[in-house]
Amino acid sequence: MEDEELWDFDSESLSFEKDRHIYYLEMMYRGLPAPYQGQEINRLTLAYFVISGLDIFAALDRIDKEAVINWVLSLQAYPKNDRTFENGQFYGFHGSRSSQFQSDNSGAAKLNASHLASTYCALAILKTVGYDLSQIDSELLLKSMRTLQQPNGCFMPVHTGGETDLRFVFCAAAICSMLKNWTGMDREKAKEFIRNCQSYDGGFGLIPVAESHGGATYCAVASLKLMGFLGEDSLSEKASSDVINVPLLLDWSLQKQAFEDGGFRGRANKPTDTCYAFWVGGTLRILQADKFINEEALRGFLLTCQYKYGGFSKFPRVLPDIYHSYYGFCAFSMLREPGLNPLCVELVDVLSPIPP
Amino acid sequence: MKGEEERERIPIKERPEWADVRPVPQDDGPNPVVPIDYTDDFTETMDYFRAVYLADERSPRALHLTKEAILLNSGNYTVWQFRRLILDALNADLHEELQFLDQITRENAKNYQIWYHRRWLAEKLGEHVASKEHEFSREIFCKDAKNYHAWSHRQWVLQALGGWEGELSYCSELIKDDIFNNSAWNQRYFVVSKSPLLGGLEVMRDSEVAYAIEAILTKPENESPWRYLRGLHKNDGKSLANDPRVASVCLDVLTGKTDYIHALNMILDLLCHRHQPSKELKDAVDAVSPDPNLSDVGLAEKVCSILKLVDPMRSNYWEWRKSTVPAQD
Repeated sequence: MEDEELWDFDSESLSFEKDRHIYYLEMMYRGLPAPYQGQEINRLTLAYFVISGLDIFAALDRIDKEAVINWVLSLQAYPKNDRTFENGQFYGFHGSRSSQFQSDNSGAAKLNASHLASTYCALAILKTVGYDLSQIDSELLLKSMRTLQQPNGCFMPVHTGGETDLRFVFCAAAICSMLKNWTGMDREKAKEFIRNCQSYDGGFGLIPVAESHGGATYCAVASLKLMGFLGEDSLSEKASSDVINVPLLLDWSLQKQAFEDGGFRGRANKPTDTCYAFWVGGTLRILQADKFINEEALRGFLLTCQYKYGGFSKFPRVLPDIYHSYYGFCAFSMLREPGLNPLCVELVDVLSPIPP
Repeated sequence: MKGEEERERIPIKERPEWADVRPVPQDDGPNPVVPIDYTDDFTETMDYFRAVYLADERSPRALHLTKEAILLNSGNYTVWQFRRLILDALNADLHEELQFLDQITRENAKNYQIWYHRRWLAEKLGEHVASKEHEFSREIFCKDAKNYHAWSHRQWVLQALGGWEGELSYCSELIKDDIFNNSAWNQRYFVVSKSPLLGGLEVMRDSEVAYAIEAILTKPENESPWRYLRGLHKNDGKSLANDPRVASVCLDVLTGKTDYIHALNMILDLLCHRHQPSKELKDAVDAVSPDPNLSDVGLAEKVCSILKLVDPMRSNYWEWRKSTVPAQD
């Protein structure tokens, strides 16, 4: 990063550079540079950003779908014996090969380390490339997923232990929604947990009493939507939800669009950042309140984070990365950029492909 | 800096203590998707990690190897999990482990696995580490007073292991350093409502309302104390409308004639909850209106019209709020 000055940040573009973004994603599809090795364990998630990103651009013809399907399916965890599974184990998808070991029956390696976030990304990729999800052995996956739900309704990401927070409630809800089968979770308990995460200021923290945060707020609202606890018109007084305080959430979310530059921040008084255009903007979309976003100002901010050779960065004038690029593309899709596929915001999933 | 470390690193295959181990390369299958261009050190370290993991070798050298793997990819929860198994098996000194964590957290303070491991350790070590843990999060906040992981950890330590003494004054200290630090405001709300030493929100409300008002008058454009003030009244519009200090701070801010957007927003909420505005407040609203010819009949509608003009980022929202103002009797 020291040689950032060598990078070319001049001549900000005033338009969305669609072709350069597709080129950037194709490059990432062929191979991620070494700085991503620190995220090796989340390789499925990195792949999801690339493949789902290409889908937003209606550019899936650039990838080998068969190869993608086979690779993703190869990361699924199975019990050693055909239909029996050990109590407490979760049979989802591994994030990468470094958490997956062919079953040598002994010791630490017998613990499978499949992960909720990887499972969500695996299913989302498969769906994106047109794989019929009814072919997945979902009974085993969902039955074992239930063991990850905690007494307070939240989810653990991996059965060997890990931090529990709203991100994994969202993953669980998205998994059930994609598999069209809700036996994998207790929705009432999950709803209680989400309620407990709404802060005094209207936003949601990742866990109860934590500070409101754009990403956590998206996870809360998208989960409620997927689980069927948010009506079609959550803004109208009649539909006013007794699950969460919608007016306060609405006011908190809208206040996150900064008057200084039009971007969204994730927390009060923090700098604006590309990804919150999606996390907070998406929350507003689910509440059907995206009509209150100042779209022109938001677009203007996002373009300052667009890298001239493709991709988006977190802040203006820093290097792009695949995470911020993906959520930048999602934000532009929500802003109805011509040529981009529309999103199902609560799943972060392309709705229906645009005609060729 | 990185280059120096790399020069010092002796490849594992050249270390005599590893001579008996055959590394296990990553099997990426026939058609790997989104491959990562690993550095040689990364590949070698993970190949040896796979070998000890498959052999379930819970030994001092394996413990050291997990450290090397963690330094290369601290998000790898499988490596962390194996490290915990080894620590248990070796009955290792957990205080030493905590020191190792201190060191890597200073360099990489935004990593979920590092903080999860810390919590696992603190849970095992028990109450007597509470003050040490508070000291450590304090150290992290000196560099980044809004570190989300450190705040979650601190809240967990308080609830699980204690150490509440001095927490409210710590919040005051942070807010004094940076009145815009919303994490500190959130912590203050947490302490005021949950501390076993303070008696709860109802008991604290009076003095905390005064604290919030003082902060508002210092920087009326600061969203944090306005939200805090609402929170003290549990976002109950009637309770806010019945506290004369709330309307009064709005009036004071309007009279200052700058940075009054949050004040107008609060007045709107009060009016929607049947607050009867004083003549002074009505006049103060008129006085900040950029357009003297607003045709609104009701004060709430007028406040929305003004907000639409002075807060153009949210003009559609204020227009909508205007359409939802409850009818006056």
